Amino acid sequence: MLLSDLKVGDKAEVTGLLAESGIRRRILDMGLVKGVRFKVLRVAPLGDPIEIVFKGVYLTLRKNEAAGVQVEKTGEVGDGRPMGNQRSRWRFGS
Amino acid sequence: MRDLKEVKVALAGNPNSGKSSLFNALTGSHQKVGNFSGVTIEKYEGYVDYRGYRIRVVDLPGTYSLTAYSPEELVTRNYLIEDVPDIVIDVVEGPNLERNLLLTTQLMEMEVELLVALNMFDEVEAQGIDIDVKQLQRLLGCHIVPTSAKKKQGLGSLLDHVIRIYEGNIEIKKNKLAFRPEVDSATDEITQLLAHEPELGKYNLRWLAIKLLENDKEVYNLVRQYPVWVKIELALQHVIQETEAVYKSDPEISITEDRYAFIRGAMQECVKQRREKKQSLTDYIDLVVLNRVLGLPIFLFVVWVIFHMTFTLGTPIMDWLDALFGMVAESVSPLLPNDTLRSVLVDGVIAGVGGVLIFLPNIILLFIGLSFLEASGYMARAAFVVDKVMHRFGLHGKSFIPMITGFGCSIPAIMATRTLKSRSDRLATIMIIPFMSCGAKLPVYVLLAGAFFRPAVAANVMFGIYMLGIIVGLFSALIMKKTILKSESEPFVMELPPYRWPSLRSVLVQAKTKAMMYLKKAGTIILLAVLLIWTFSNYPKNPELDAGLERQIATIEQTIIDEEQKERAIIEAENKVNASQLEYSIAGRAGKLLEPVIRPLGFDWRIGVALVTGLAAKEVVVSTMGTIYSLGESDETSPELKTILKNDPGFDEATALSLMVFVLLYIPCVAAVSVMKKEIGEWKAVAIYGAYALTVAWIFSFITYRLANLLL
Repeated sequence: MLLSDLKVGDKAEVTGLLAESGIRRRILDMGLVKGVRFKVLRVAPLGDPIEIVFKGVYLTLRKNEAAGVQVEKTGEVGDGRPMGNQRSRWRFGS
Repeated sequence: MRDLKEVKVALAGNPNSGKSSLFNALTGSHQKVGNFSGVTIEKYEGYVDYRGYRIRVVDLPGTYSLTAYSPEELVTRNYLIEDVPDIVIDVVEGPNLERNLLLTTQLMEMEVELLVALNMFDEVEAQGIDIDVKQLQRLLGCHIVPTSAKKKQGLGSLLDHVIRIYEGNIEIKKNKLAFRPEVDSATDEITQLLAHEPELGKYNLRWLAIKLLENDKEVYNLVRQYPVWVKIELALQHVIQETEAVYKSDPEISITEDRYAFIRGAMQECVKQRREKKQSLTDYIDLVVLNRVLGLPIFLFVVWVIFHMTFTLGTPIMDWLDALFGMVAESVSPLLPNDTLRSVLVDGVIAGVGGVLIFLPNIILLFIGLSFLEASGYMARAAFVVDKVMHRFGLHGKSFIPMITGFGCSIPAIMATRTLKSRSDRLATIMIIPFMSCGAKLPVYVLLAGAFFRPAVAANVMFGIYMLGIIVGLFSALIMKKTILKSESEPFVMELPPYRWPSLRSVLVQAKTKAMMYLKKAGTIILLAVLLIWTFSNYPKNPELDAGLERQIATIEQTIIDEEQKERAIIEAENKVNASQLEYSIAGRAGKLLEPVIRPLGFDWRIGVALVTGLAAKEVVVSTMGTIYSLGESDETSPELKTILKNDPGFDEATALSLMVFVLLYIPCVAAVSVMKKEIGEWKAVAIYGAYALTVAWIFSFITYRLANLLL
């Protein structure tokens, strides 16, 4: 499946890149390479772009660009699977 | 003092790595700003004298990588190749080491004399991260100095290292990053082939080979000129087939993956997180600021604050400047006996300089605001929030703030487009900014709407004008991006940096830089253009008119006894002569020459004159109309001007609407055009824009005039 198909809270692993030229280079340079596990953190108020997080990087990308990244879903929101330093549980003041 | 030995140092690093803070902390006030040749990327240079050396530091643009895709990255690597700094300091963000090391690996590949500044080390300790600096040094093959630019820690040690490396006092075994075997052997093969071309000697050949494998456009075009290319191409094809067969991937991706693999290994070996990472303040702020419901209102509020700070706060200062120049003009006038000289100096030069300086308060205030947003980390979030709307019109989320600023004044707005990385995005944004109705056009609307419509209708008319500007602007962007600016837009793949409290100093330095750039680059053109337009509206002089005026005044003096009546009669006579003089001048003739073209829009030659002089500044349209209708000095609130327009047979509601539309859309003032030229860099694009703006203005005015005639 593609990164653009994921929903907020989904966790996934990058399996390949379909994007071409400039966008592809940019995605590579931002660290989204094969094997990286990330979580979809939120979508922008108007529904696009989306924000994902991996290894301390908070990355935003348009769904257009996200459609150039092949992923495999590894988890969903609330399944409690820990992912590095991820923020699966929000608690204020804790 | 005797001459110091010079050491050339370049600072490289990711955006938000604290590179600029480190630059400021190192060089203090010994700084100057220029541009890298051929591009509008700012180049900060400074120096620091240390232990008998003058260390010259260049702050390179912040980049994640060294590919050929963004101008920043090209500038950075070209600087490293062409200017050959003695030492390159790679500033890495300590708490986010993994993400920052990609650039480090690429600097290693270039085999520059590398020194790593492990910046924000205070935060590393505070977050409970342990970094084995010694081991990391061994892996990266370069010295690493922990620093904190904010707390000014580690700077002395950094400079000590610079000097000791320069003197050759400390050596470290360089390390080469290994790629997968197929790519490694291809790299070696191509490196050997490249060695046959002596002209490529100034490059690091292994680096060229890696870039060729990465399918790098620039290096490709460079190497292709040489006969050895034939063999290299074969080698490239071979390795492409090999990686495809073994890894189902290409060399570009393989190389990047291998770099990340190296980084991952280094991280596992050298970095330990002592205790679990807490939710950062950034996470909590973003929970609110990027909230699906609150995100947009917060964004609009921020834009509103910036806008008001720039224009509400700036306007009194502008008025004050204006008054100051008026005072200067008044006090200089009596000192000059010669009429012509006085006119040139007072109405031409002083008014011209005033016309340049008047924009400074807005520019400084806007860039204080924008630098704050940029340095605090909000700018990237603003783009994230609003990108969807802008993208629909072919623009980037980052186009929004410059566009909105255009409602105040096009000049700072055009300068603010530098945040856009792609040239086509930037050009499109620059070209639609003048359609956002600026503050100087308001007097024209106030005069015309006030003269021809009831107050309630007048407000709607003005609202309509503003909306028309937005609509024309957005659709123009769409059309331009689909036709002449088709080239690749900047992809929206952007990091959201952690929120940081910006240092007051760096915010002020930014604002100062922009102000100086405006004065130096645009100031001279603006001054010249204002002088030119002044000359056009004053020359050639008709001596008969002056003689006639003197005779008239003499007659009035003799025939009218009442002092008050006499004065009024003289002013009236003067105003008539001023009107005739304007008609006689080049601007007047231009207006008459234009009449056939603007007749279909409902304009006569007098409006033509006002449109020509309006190029000096939009509010001049109003004062010119005052002069040409023989009223003397007038502004948009003058009841006489309103009455005279209303009673003029050639002027009705339709003409008023048509004129408002034309003023909204036609070429902006010379100051804006000058800044546009400076930011775009070539007159050709400015000329295309000018032709486009005039055409659009004509068409919309024509439609407005015809429709209004039908409906009103």
